[in-house]
Parts: sequence; structure tokens; C-alpha cells
Amino acid sequence: MNPTQKHALSISVVLFLVLISIYFIYPPAKSTRLGLDLKGGMHVILSAKPFPGSPVTENAMDQAMLIIRQRVDKLGVAEPEITRQGRNNILVQLPGIKRPEKALEIIGKPAFLEFKEVKGTDKKGKIILGKTEMTGRYLKDAQVDFDELGKPKVNLQFTSEGGRKFEEVTGRLVGKQLAIVLDGKVMSAPQVREKISGGRAEITGDFTIDKAKELALVLQTGALPVKLEIEENRTVGPTLGADSLRAGIKAGIIGLILVALYMLLYYRGLGGITCVALLVFATLFWGVIVIINKFTSWGWPLTLPGIAGIILTIGVAADSSIVIFERVKEEVKVGKTLRSAADSGFTHAFKTILDADFVTLIAAVILVFVGIGPVRGFAISLICGICLDLFTALFFTRPLLALLVRFKPFTRPTLVGIKEVVPE
Amino acid sequence: MNFDFIGRKKIWFSISGVIIAAGVIAFFFKGMNFGIEFKGGTIFDFKLKREISVGEARRVMRQFNLEKSIIQLVGKREILIRTPSLSREKQVLIRKVFNQEVGIEEIKYIQNVGPGWGAQITRAASLALIISLVSILVYISFRFEFKMAVTAIVALFHDLLITIGIYALVGREVTPSTVAAILTILGYSLYDTIVVFHRIRENAKQLGKRTYSMMVNDSINQVLMRSINTSLTTLLPVVSLLLIGGETLKDFAFALFVGLISGAYSSIFTASPLLALWKETEPYYKSLKKKYGKINAKN
Repeated sequence: MNPTQKHALSISVVLFLVLISIYFIYPPAKSTRLGLDLKGGMHVILSAKPFPGSPVTENAMDQAMLIIRQRVDKLGVAEPEITRQGRNNILVQLPGIKRPEKALEIIGKPAFLEFKEVKGTDKKGKIILGKTEMTGRYLKDAQVDFDELGKPKVNLQFTSEGGRKFEEVTGRLVGKQLAIVLDGKVMSAPQVREKISGGRAEITGDFTIDKAKELALVLQTGALPVKLEIEENRTVGPTLGADSLRAGIKAGIIGLILVALYMLLYYRGLGGITCVALLVFATLFWGVIVIINKFTSWGWPLTLPGIAGIILTIGVAADSSIVIFERVKEEVKVGKTLRSAADSGFTHAFKTILDADFVTLIAAVILVFVGIGPVRGFAISLICGICLDLFTALFFTRPLLALLVRFKPFTRPTLVGIKEVVPE
Repeated sequence: MNFDFIGRKKIWFSISGVIIAAGVIAFFFKGMNFGIEFKGGTIFDFKLKREISVGEARRVMRQFNLEKSIIQLVGKREILIRTPSLSREKQVLIRKVFNQEVGIEEIKYIQNVGPGWGAQITRAASLALIISLVSILVYISFRFEFKMAVTAIVALFHDLLITIGIYALVGREVTPSTVAAILTILGYSLYDTIVVFHRIRENAKQLGKRTYSMMVNDSINQVLMRSINTSLTTLLPVVSLLLIGGETLKDFAFALFVGLISGAYSSIFTASPLLALWKETEPYYKSLKKKYGKINAKN
């Protein structure tokens, strides 16, 4: 293959990739997954706090995430996202949720169930509790039911091991009161009339049907192995999200147009190459986001910080063109033909771009690993942008430039923006 | 056109010094305006069913002993309330009372941040900063040379100090977005510095009858248009974000805006003169300075 064919092939491949991107992007409103800040929803960061008897271990965090996932699934939220952030934090994102406070209560509830003997009451009438006889660990199921008076209660079903244990405990405490304690609060303290076999118990109390349902739900999913505190919770209404998205898109498009105009005015024909390259870059960028969201489970929705990252990379992409063109101009000035200047200029400039991009990349990669909250979305956009920038420069800008300088009408000084073109 | 950048280094260092000093003074006397992510707190943003005055909202908040909250009207029917960090129960209660007494059409935004969260973010950001700086130092030392790496990092600190100082001066709120933007400036402000250093390294191979300073000055002049253009094309989209990007994006854009300008300035006016100063302590370049320095002075 001669160089011309090689360049043409490279451009064709890139354009083909652009077509693939467009195929996946279209229709854009459906294909692009939006983050919570753009479509509305709730965002909670739960932070595990160690307390006596339950250190924050990897295992405990994994289990806590599993339990939270089960609880969220039972809430029936579409497309929930539960992810680890750092060592001790769990990020829960619930798009379009109707009653955020209720979800918040259910997700973070420790649901630590204990059965304790009642030793009597103190002077103020407060119950004095004995040691823990049994915990919710032996629970198999919990269901809402109603008593004879139609009041809601929660039926508990133990595992077979739990059933035996419960039988032993109730046998020992006949005639005494057994308190059912949830997260340190006495729910009820019924008197044990006889030994209870069959592994069943119930929690009665003064609660509404909603509260009973919540209780059954958290008991079904089990107790959280670590104490979770809500560090941050944020609810974004749907119109605020839509407004932000509109503002972000508008800023992006205007930014792109301004950069394109500047390049055209300053670099003329070469600027035209940049404009096409920027369009290719933007389409590929969007395509990559859509394709990653479609085929992987990474979950990379478009967020506001992500939009900021994308808009910044528009500038970075234009920078690469400038570094290349300025170098080409210089080489022409020292007497090279435009054709050979385009070749050697690119090779030199690309080394500079590589070093400069690499340093930005270092910062961005570190942001992904230690970053929290909005920082990560921004950093991921930036990384993707830098890689695509190098790709576009190498496989699109370069061959296009090489082909166009072989094309006589393009090399006229007025068009190419370089005055001292040495006649070939 | 050949502008004397290096010869006027005292002017550039003074300009940087004055801005940084102003920032440092503002930092210690005014302090930074940290957002609720850092100091903890709760923000409510309600769209109400009818118009309301700040006084009326304050009366509602008095029931919770929160009459000292920061209350802002956004338009006539939207209200923003900032309080210290509240428990979930209290958040629900405030929402309910507002709904009963005024009527909420839409909850636009509720955010609560516990008091410990800021410390976690700060720790993560400091960690990111330290790892970035060390990696960049190692990378530039490896690809270029140690003295260039150090001067590039000094230029970075210059940009960081200026950005933080300007934030203290204008009293703009510092959010996690600001932190992200500042960390990005790290990488980006190096872009310009690297472009200049690339040229310096290339020209150092053929000094001719020039001192190191003269060669650095020529290098800056050669890449000047490139530096101006790359800075401008990055600034254009950032300005567009700053003007029309909506509140969250403006946070990013403002920090980026300040950092980018400072970054473009420091690669030419801070990093390069410092490099020249330092390199001319080496015996070889010192002798060149003795030999050709006077010619430079005459011109």
C-alpha cells in the first residue's frame, strides 16, 4: 500500500466508526443514560462506622451492600445503583423515587433484632433487660399479618436451628416476660405462657400497616453487619435536572462553535480540518459513552460533572490541532515544502502532545481512584476524552492533513493560512 | 518579533507575588467560603404553590428554632433554605410543615451532609494531590530532567495558590466540584509548560552563541502563538460554561477559568525563568553567561 492509500484507509476506518457511533446514539434521548443530577432522584452516601463487636471488614461491607440491594429491590425502584466508594462508603442512587424519606429510613435501618429476658422495671417504669437470648440471625422470614382486632402485626418464622433455640429459650422463661428488641428499642414484651415449638413468633405493637410492612421488609433482608450512618443525602427534583441538562448542552454546543470559529479564523483551511476532527471527536466520544452503557455493567451515566469534563476535552482536542499546525508552519518557514512539513511536523508535534496528554492523564487516573462524589464522573470523562484525542489526532487529523497537502488547490496561501509556501 | 521574557523576570515574579500575597491575606483574614459538603448542613429547595416572603419563611423555621437559617428567594415562588445538618426526621418534618402552611408544588432539591463528610473529601483530595504531584515529578524527571520537573511543580503550586487565593478574595463557595476542577488544573496547566519545555530541550542541543537564558527566551517566543492559541481554545468552552452552564457547572467553570489563565501565565512567566535561573548555576551554563551575557545586555 502506498502512503495515499494508507491515509485514505485510515480515514475510512475512522468515518466507519463514526457511523457506528451514530447508529448507537440515534435516537439520542433514549440511548443516553442520565445521572441523578440530570433526571432527578435520590442519592445517599452511607458510611460504615465501627462500633464494639462489629468492625468494618471487607466481608461486612460486601454483606451490607447485598442487604441494601435486597431492600432497594423490595422497594421497587427502577434502575437502582449501589456502589462502593472508598473503603467505608456505600453510594445508593435511586432515580425518580417518589418518597425519598421512606426509602432513606428503610435503607439505613440496622434491623438488629434481639430477644431478651425482662428482669423487671425500675422506679420510672422503664423495663430492665437481661442478656440477649437470641438474635435475628435465626430468622427465616417475616410477614405482615393482622390480629383478631384487625391490627397489623409481623409474623416471624425461624430457621429449624432457630426454632430449636427459641423452644429452649421459651421453655426456660415460662411465666416470665420476653422482650423483642429492635435496634435497641423494645417493640413488645409478651409473657411466655408455655414453651413455644414450631419456630414461630410475632411482633405486635402500636404500628400502622405501612410501618408493619417496613418492619417486615427490613427483617426479611436481615440485619446490617455494620453500623451505617447517612453522610450525605441529596434529592434532585425532575425539573431541576432537566434545566441543568439543557444549560449543559447549550454551553457545550456554544463552546464547540466558538472553538470552531476561532480555529477557522486563525488557521483558515487547516482550521477547517480541526472543525471536522472536532465533530469526529465529539461523535466518537458520545458513541463510546452510549456503547459502554449498553454493553457493560460499569454504569457510566452522563452527569453534570461529566458534561464539564467533556466540554473541557473539546478544548484539549483543539489544542492538539494547534500544536500540530504551529509546528507545520514553523517547518515551512525554515524552507520545507508543505508536503514534507506536514509529515515531519506531525511527528514532532505528536511527541509533545503525547507528553502533555500523559501528564493530564496521570492526574485524571488518580482522581478516579481516590475521587469521591462528583469528582469521579469528571475524571472518567477526562480520561476518555484524552484517549480519543490521541486517537483522532493519529488516525484522522494526520492522514487528512497528509492527503490535503497533496491536493494543489488546498495549498494556496490564502486557504492554508501559511504565507511562505515554497513552490514545489 | 522577539520579546524579552527572561530579562524582565523580576516584573513577572512581582506580579505573581502580589496576587499570591493578596490571596494569602484574604485566606487568613476572610477565610474560605466552604460549601455544605465541607462543613455539613442541609439545603432545601422548594417550589411553592404561592408567593412567600423571606420573613414568612423565617417564621415557619422558627418553630424548629432554625430562624437563623440562611433563606433566599429564587424568583417569587421558589425558596432556598440552608440550615445546619439536620436529622432525617427533622428534614421530613420541615417539609411537612412547609407543605401544610405554604403548600409545596415541587421539591426541587434536598441535600443533607453530615459534619464528618468534609473531612473525608478533604483527605481524599489531599491524597490525590500528593500522589499526582509525586507521579508528575517522576514522569517529567524521567522524560525531561529533574530541574524541569521541579520548576514545573513550582509553577503548579503557583497556580494552586493563585486559584485558592482568588477563591478567598471573591468569597466564592468551595464545593467538591471546585476541588475536582483544581485537581484537573494540575494536569492541564502542565500542558503548556510541557510544550515550552519540549522546545527548550530541543534548542538546548544547539545553543550557538547564546546563554541558556537567551535560548529559553527564544524558545518561549517560538511557541508563544501556540501557547496563546491553546489557552484560548480551552478558555472558550470554559467561558461558555461559566456564562450559561447552570449553577453546578459554573462551580467547575470558575475554578477552571482562574486556573487555566494562571496556568498559561505560569508556564511562560514562572516556570521558564526559574528554569533558566537554576540552570545557569551549572558551571557550563555559568561560563556561557560570562562569555555571551554582555552581548545580551547591550542588545
